[in-house]
Amino acid sequence: MKDNHPLSRPWTEAERLAALRAYDVLDSPPERAFDGLVEIASRVCEAPIGLVSLVDEDRQWFKARVGLDADETPRNVSFCARAVEADADLIVNDAMQDPRFADNPLVTGDPQIRFYAGALLRSREGLPLGTLCVIDSKPRPEGLTETQRRTLEVLAEQVGTALELRRALKAGSHLIDAHRDNDARRDAEDAERDDRDIELTRVAAALAESEARFRAISDSMPQMVWSTLPDGFHDYYNARWYEFTGVPVGSTDGEAWNGMFHAEDQDRAWARWRHSLASGEPYEIEYRLRHRSGVYRWTLGRALPIRDANGTIIRWFGTCTDIEDLKRHEAEREVVSQELNHRIKNVFAVVSALVALSARQHPEARDFAASLKTRIQALARAHAFVRPHTAAAEPTNGDTTLHAFLRELLAPHAAEDGGTLVIEGDDAVFDDQAATPVALLFHELATNAAKYGALSTPDGLITVRAAHEGDSFRLEWIESGGPPIGQPPERSGFGFTLARLAVEGQLGGRLEQYWEPTGLRLATDLPVAALQRRRNAVRPAEPEAG
Amino acid sequence: MTARILIVEDEAIVALELGLILEDMGHEVAGYATDSRAALFQADCGPIDLALVDIHLADGPTGAEVGRRLADLGVNVLYVTGNPSMIGQAPPRVVGVLGKPADEVLIENAVTYALACRAGRSMSPPAQLRLLS
Repeated sequence: MKDNHPLSRPWTEAERLAALRAYDVLDSPPERAFDGLVEIASRVCEAPIGLVSLVDEDRQWFKARVGLDADETPRNVSFCARAVEADADLIVNDAMQDPRFADNPLVTGDPQIRFYAGALLRSREGLPLGTLCVIDSKPRPEGLTETQRRTLEVLAEQVGTALELRRALKAGSHLIDAHRDNDARRDAEDAERDDRDIELTRVAAALAESEARFRAISDSMPQMVWSTLPDGFHDYYNARWYEFTGVPVGSTDGEAWNGMFHAEDQDRAWARWRHSLASGEPYEIEYRLRHRSGVYRWTLGRALPIRDANGTIIRWFGTCTDIEDLKRHEAEREVVSQELNHRIKNVFAVVSALVALSARQHPEARDFAASLKTRIQALARAHAFVRPHTAAAEPTNGDTTLHAFLRELLAPHAAEDGGTLVIEGDDAVFDDQAATPVALLFHELATNAAKYGALSTPDGLITVRAAHEGDSFRLEWIESGGPPIGQPPERSGFGFTLARLAVEGQLGGRLEQYWEPTGLRLATDLPVAALQRRRNAVRPAEPEAG
Repeated sequence: MTARILIVEDEAIVALELGLILEDMGHEVAGYATDSRAALFQADCGPIDLALVDIHLADGPTGAEVGRRLADLGVNVLYVTGNPSMIGQAPPRVVGVLGKPADEVLIENAVTYALACRAGRSMSPPAQLRLLS
């Protein structure tokens, strides 16, 4: 078997350099075999840079690289050279904190190395030639995972094997040339070719061995793993795939995989896969995969192309992850959410009915009860609008945005025979935390306008204007065309107290009101974060009539 | 004109308020039902002009189906619900949907409109009533 063990005796640098040069690889053009291995190393280790670095007398030269433009660097700044000199794999979690590397120009300047992990590449006899390494510009206090570390190690062995194979093939072709040239030396050369054949067989066996180890890692993964040729022909599935599907090994090679998915999902999967093959875009899909029990289970399928140095796709690597339980939990959550939502709505309805029923016993409280009821209804609408939804059950009433929310909330007021209500300006995503105070604020304004202001006459106009200004969101309520304002009211009513409480107390904003001759103008400045705690997204919108 | 109106609602207090509003309007409450079986039983007991139907009843989200069955029996139907998205297909006698909680004036207007539809009189519907047919 191929070993990757150090030489058991001390060695000299001259000896090491002689071994390296015997491979005749320095300054050779890029080759697929190496590019692919570097790409896998970089992806598995989730590192932007991956290199096959060979340490020459005064430089390190890269046989293959991703994420780096240079094809060599001076040896004195090389991390890989340190690994070679120490004759051991090297992991540096944070180069800034490591006295050996803190002032290295590759750390202080580009590519700003912070994390480095290199697995030694050894000659057949065990001399260190360089490393297969991955590099990140962010420190990784936790280093590599066990799977990443082991993958890097096995890939380094594959690089070694590829170097051997390369040397053997070159020697073989030299041999054939020489053979044609000189019949007289045929016997001697036949003997040499026998040696080469033996060497080739040995290298092929080592490659198979290394491949077997790589598959062993893939087989130990909890996910189903598969791989295809550039044209999409599936030629590899790991053990988990066969364990899950229960089909005979090899039976889903080629294009037969599609038959394993639910009939309703096949066209979609096929179309998306063809699209990825044609465009080189990553493949991602949720579909139902037939379990060996005959039951279809929801599965997340993903695949990425592996490219060579010229950007040509050389393979696709894909995974399938069972997400059936996740899907079921999501559905169960939605049921609970619906139930809770129903109960909360019921509470609003019951409280509202109780208020009305109680007021029947006290005719003098009728007005009071009516206004309390409309407040409760405004809150109920606010709740119904912004209740949390799972991805599977999007709200049917459109996006949860401020404009949509205000339209919904103010619809009853706009529907009356009074004035016109227009909502314009920037829109903003809006969530449940802001719903209650905003609903209270606008409910009070609209109720007031319907009684005394612009909504009390057909010619009245109310403009709700929203503007996103830096960290704050400005909401203005501008009335015009209503009954003329003689003098500001001497004391503000309970409605305004409630509105002020909502804006200043609950939303952390500021509220100002002006009694203009044309009508009430009210301005609130809210911190953007007050509208929604999860994301901040604001987009311009066309003016819309409410 | 006095109409006989059935109230299908599992919250007693909400049902009671609806009943009082209808009586204030001069109508007769034909009965109260809290689940689908009781609702259909009431429909067998005597002529009913109109039913106010919630979607979530004591036996689950059965109100949509109750509304359709009542409509098939010749009863006009107004849904009063917080879950209007669950109604689905509705036959012509299902007039529309009111959000919940609905205010008294809206209920009065919607009932008047539904009875006008039943009598074949033309009338413009209240703005907040979501029409289904």
